[in-house]
Amino acid sequence: MADKSKAGMEFPPISWEVERGKIGELVRAIQDDNPIYLDKEAAIAEGYKDSPAPPTFLTVPMMFNSGLASVLSELKINFAMVLHGEEEYEYYQEIYPGDVITGKPKVTDVFEKTSKSGRTMDMITLEVEYTNQRDEKIAKARTLIVERK
Amino acid sequence: MAKEIYFDDIEIGSEMPVLNKGPLNKLQFVMYAGASGDFNPLHVLDEFAKSVGMEEVISHGMLVMGFVGQAVTAWMPKKYLKKLGVRFVGMTKPNSTITIAGKVVDKRNENGESIISCEVSAKDEQGDIKITGHFEASLPTR
Repeated sequence: MADKSKAGMEFPPISWEVERGKIGELVRAIQDDNPIYLDKEAAIAEGYKDSPAPPTFLTVPMMFNSGLASVLSELKINFAMVLHGEEEYEYYQEIYPGDVITGKPKVTDVFEKTSKSGRTMDMITLEVEYTNQRDEKIAKARTLIVERK
Repeated sequence: MAKEIYFDDIEIGSEMPVLNKGPLNKLQFVMYAGASGDFNPLHVLDEFAKSVGMEEVISHGMLVMGFVGQAVTAWMPKKYLKKLGVRFVGMTKPNSTITIAGKVVDKRNENGESIISCEVSAKDEQGDIKITGHFEASLPTR
């Protein structure tokens, strides 16, 4: 079960250079045909500086940098019993190719919940604040992880 | 390309255009794994999925959230989107067709911005809910 003493714990920052190709891979996997993501000129015509990252892009640095894996491991969570309960992003600025973004993960809460069927689960809430290479706030991510028992 | 959209033209109850995605296939889950870095075998290896009591692999929840993001940013320019949040309610299987729908539940002026709040959902062809969610956007005025 999740280690409740870890609520409030901050994790080492994760850093990630945003590549144009990685933005393209994500929208191709989603099969999002919005031209702004693959065609820089189309993006500029719509008022962006370059092709912006799509709304769920921040999952990429989190997963590739093992940000989530290190949190789960530190909290002694059984990876096989984990469900992704919720995900929320707040956006302050666009993310563009070449940006170097830094995310600071923090475990904001760890608590137990009993479902209607009487099953108990541990709920872990994680918040990650992201800044860019100019130290400007770009986004905040909130994640709810559920550990079934 | 998302069309221009104005706060003045949006009413509470206004509906976002529906987006249909799929049928999904396992190759798309493999592509999403590589693109996102989420290599949980539950999404790509049938034998692993069977070993944990599933019939076959299931979609990454974040792929379905990606569909929600696509629907919203097909409706309005992405730069207006200020918040997007979802709750993963059900597992999404290969061969499902996913329908994303949403509607405006509130509009308000806040710190000089004109904000709309919307509800959104993702359902499969059986009507089973996969995601419930919400988003907020700051829109231009006429």
